[in-house]
Amino acid sequence: MANKKIRQKTNWKKELALAPGYLIVGIWVVFTFVLIGWIVLASFSTTREIFDGNLFKFATGLHPENYVKAWKTHKVSSYFMNSLVYTLISCTVVIIVAAPAAYVLSRFKFRGNGFLQNLFATALGIPAIMIIMPLFALFSQMHVTQSRGLLIFLYIAINVPFTVFFLNTFFHNLSVTFEEAAAIDGCSPMKTFWMIMLPLAQPGIITVTIFNFITIWNEYFISLIFANTAKTRPVAVGLYSMIQSMRYTGDWGGMFAAVVIVFLPTFILYIFLSEKIIASVTGGAIKG
Amino acid sequence: MKTKNKSMIVIFLAPAIFLYTVVFLYPTIRTVIMSFFKVEGVTDAVSGWKFNGMGNFRTLFHTPLFMSAMQNISLIWLVGGVGVMLVSLLFGVILTSGVHGKSFFRSVIYLPNVISAVAMGTMWINYVYNPNFGLLSSILKTLGFSEAAATQWTGPEMVFWSMLVAYCFGMVGYHMLIWMSGIERIPVDFYEAATIEGANVFQRFSKITLPLLKGVCRTNIVLWTVSTMAFFVWSQLFSPVNLSASTVTPMSYMYELVFGASNSAITVRDSGAGAAIGVILTIVVVIVFLFTQLIVRHDDVEL
Amino acid sequence: MKKKLCSLMAIVLICAMALGGCGGAAQSSAPAASGEASTGDAKSDVTVTYYSMWNETEPQGQTIAEAAEAFKEKTGITVDINWQGRDIRKTLQPALDAGQEIDLFDEDVERVNGTWGKYLLNVEDLAAKSYDTTDGKPLTDVINKKLVDLARSLGPDGKLSTIPYQPSTFLVMYNKDIFKTAGITAVPKTWEEWLDACAKIKAAGKTPITVDDAYMASLFGYHMGRLIGKDKTLAMVENKKIDDPAVQTFGEQWKEMYDKGYISKNAAGNIYPAGQQEVASGNVAMYLNGTWLPNEIKNSAPADFNWGTFAYPAVGKDGDGPEANQYGAQCFGINKDSKHAEEAFKFIVFMTTGEWDTKLAQNSIGVPMANDATWPTQLADAKAVLDATTTRYPWAVGMENDADINAKIKTNFALLVSGKLDAKGFADAMKK
Repeated sequence: MANKKIRQKTNWKKELALAPGYLIVGIWVVFTFVLIGWIVLASFSTTREIFDGNLFKFATGLHPENYVKAWKTHKVSSYFMNSLVYTLISCTVVIIVAAPAAYVLSRFKFRGNGFLQNLFATALGIPAIMIIMPLFALFSQMHVTQSRGLLIFLYIAINVPFTVFFLNTFFHNLSVTFEEAAAIDGCSPMKTFWMIMLPLAQPGIITVTIFNFITIWNEYFISLIFANTAKTRPVAVGLYSMIQSMRYTGDWGGMFAAVVIVFLPTFILYIFLSEKIIASVTGGAIKG
Repeated sequence: MKTKNKSMIVIFLAPAIFLYTVVFLYPTIRTVIMSFFKVEGVTDAVSGWKFNGMGNFRTLFHTPLFMSAMQNISLIWLVGGVGVMLVSLLFGVILTSGVHGKSFFRSVIYLPNVISAVAMGTMWINYVYNPNFGLLSSILKTLGFSEAAATQWTGPEMVFWSMLVAYCFGMVGYHMLIWMSGIERIPVDFYEAATIEGANVFQRFSKITLPLLKGVCRTNIVLWTVSTMAFFVWSQLFSPVNLSASTVTPMSYMYELVFGASNSAITVRDSGAGAAIGVILTIVVVIVFLFTQLIVRHDDVEL
Repeated sequence: MKKKLCSLMAIVLICAMALGGCGGAAQSSAPAASGEASTGDAKSDVTVTYYSMWNETEPQGQTIAEAAEAFKEKTGITVDINWQGRDIRKTLQPALDAGQEIDLFDEDVERVNGTWGKYLLNVEDLAAKSYDTTDGKPLTDVINKKLVDLARSLGPDGKLSTIPYQPSTFLVMYNKDIFKTAGITAVPKTWEEWLDACAKIKAAGKTPITVDDAYMASLFGYHMGRLIGKDKTLAMVENKKIDDPAVQTFGEQWKEMYDKGYISKNAAGNIYPAGQQEVASGNVAMYLNGTWLPNEIKNSAPADFNWGTFAYPAVGKDGDGPEANQYGAQCFGINKDSKHAEEAFKFIVFMTTGEWDTKLAQNSIGVPMANDATWPTQLADAKAVLDATTTRYPWAVGMENDADINAKIKTNFALLVSGKLDAKGFADAMKK
């Protein structure tokens, strides 16, 4: 609100006072564009040009075939599909599991409520290294490692505490009058939740889902350990394995093409949803 | 009504608690126990564990590489943390001070967060830090600092700092958003009143913004700590073949210990020590958390 | 908004169904015919699960994938290849410990026999049999004897438990064209000749040598071997003390290399594979590396790159001469718990003999396993070096056996060749 008020009147004296601010932020933004621009240029180039630093000359022309190569021989398409499946399923199930829990925690008084809320909050502080080893042992004994199902299960389980935590505050801020009205109409609490409260919580759900989406899409360590086969790799680990194979085949143009392919969906999503994404980051964090 | 609620509470909470138990509670307890035992392979049966007391911790603290890892993670946390917090706060203040194109700037600064770290890392190493044609050396050359331009940014003296800068570059956007959300919650009347009383930009910042940001500051520190403890990909990118003293972190060291070394010699894996690393990191997180609680405990204007 | 969410859910559901179909297939490929004893004849309807050290996109990976197709056509045995890449160093052991059904795996000869030795099946008997691609002779008679002996000597209890392929030697790989322009007529055999060659290359406007973080330990190990001999060098690692007086000699010699500008100024900061890209670009003449180098950089080096190789020169009178070199191979090993050992071994034979042995070597600029094979032109000189080799260095002459020592070498050697440490400082830092 504050900014809108200020923005309405273009005050040149004020703008001048802000000049150093513009300069600093401007330099940072230009730098970011240069970095990302370089990746894009490199993806149309050849290994030789990249290592000789002749990237911007395009002496041998553009090499869009890098993209074809990356998509086909480097299996980016398969990593891409994997990530899409993992992300969509996990994001959905996380909400189905976390939203009811968050609702109950925010609405009902019962013994252990506070304890449970704290419990979920502590999960945010447990380093991955603490849980990785027993999980690996457990799932190895069950012979389910290196499978898609396991990875999805883990993504769900790992993101549930944060989502509960986030939605908890969201439900808390919703008015009780809806439930009261529903109760008068003879709607059971459970039905009230699914039919009334969940739809009302949609903005919060979308926000936290976007956040989960980006987290899962870029997730690296868990998939490195639990789903590191050509068939099951998501994009982040797929990209790293491509970089590794690139060292032995020297196809750097193809690798950067892969980088761009991996980056594009999140980027496009970001362009359309950046306001929401940002809201989800700040909304989630501020309550921590 | 009461019993109805009870069954609903149970049904609604059960799946979340089940997942929590399987993926957080059980593993954490088992890792803590494991850290006191001599365990070779991560999948070894409990019957094969040998009690080792504090032995795993002692071994770790006598291993030069682990000590380098702890030193590195401390520097990342402290130096990187101070740097990221200051830069992101600066950006947050600039962007909330009424600049035009705020949401554009905000989006671009946050952008590196949505790109895979693997892609960003490769770009930093092959482009920014390249000694022949890299961005950094070209800029320095253009500015006339030919000596500084010849620096080996990925050489042993600089590689840690290069890695840290590359990592922090991405983190600034994230923490900036958190600062911004905090700043935007400060009622605008506070500033108006201060301006009427003749306070300048800096006074307004130090007298109003800073004190009211304590809660956000705590959030930022906690989030920074958690993400720093998981520092792994960047370490792998800057030392792709095997561990280097200047880039190793507890997480990358654990990966070698538990899942097998990257060199070809007969090395015995040590999952017990890996668990001990986990315990050490968790203790660090807890200490930092308690410490931040202390900062804002008596702060009644917490936002 | 509501509509959007609904359609999202719908997509998810469809994906979930599709996944149910393919996820199952990925998992359930292994548990077939569990009653078959490994002594029985190779059955044709089984599936051999192979954890491969290659990436599918590498020439080796591509060739092996083709070979697996051909193998299936010929024998009916399916080889299910799980491309692990070099991540296999981290993924195989936990998977084996967990009892995952893996029949066949491969990696460097030292790693498979050493680190993974306890999982290996003894293949002496299988290797003594003849197969249709071995001309009626036992397998061990038709493939490279030096490497079979090596695999046997490194194997658990000195028994042959792995079958080598893709032989390699570690030596100085150089650009013959640069040597010619610089007027170097014979490859250097001693340190004096080496310095002389470096001077000429430098005078010709090129950089004599480079290195990167991946091969610093090897360079240090080789040089120490040449200074004080293999045994003393290995003993230093064994005792975890890099304290021989000759370490300072090493420091002096490589400080001189730096002072005279013989080592690339990028060497200290090169992160693998930046070093070999310097060679590919034609600016650097020499690189201490394996015979796999031409294959690794063929995409960035010119097609007519004129490769030459020679053994690391003799340095001191107390050390080894050019007759001591690291050589090795990748090795196939069979899981001792495998239910399809016969079939897995058939595939090994298929890959290491006849048609596919030749093809694999051709596609990867590598060396075939056959005894009478001709080496690729790029590596013609390397054959002579290997034939003259009487002492075998282990990988990096042991310098990578200890992660702490390796890390110390990487830091201090990089400081040495960027002028930040002198010889004494280097020796002191290594002693710590």
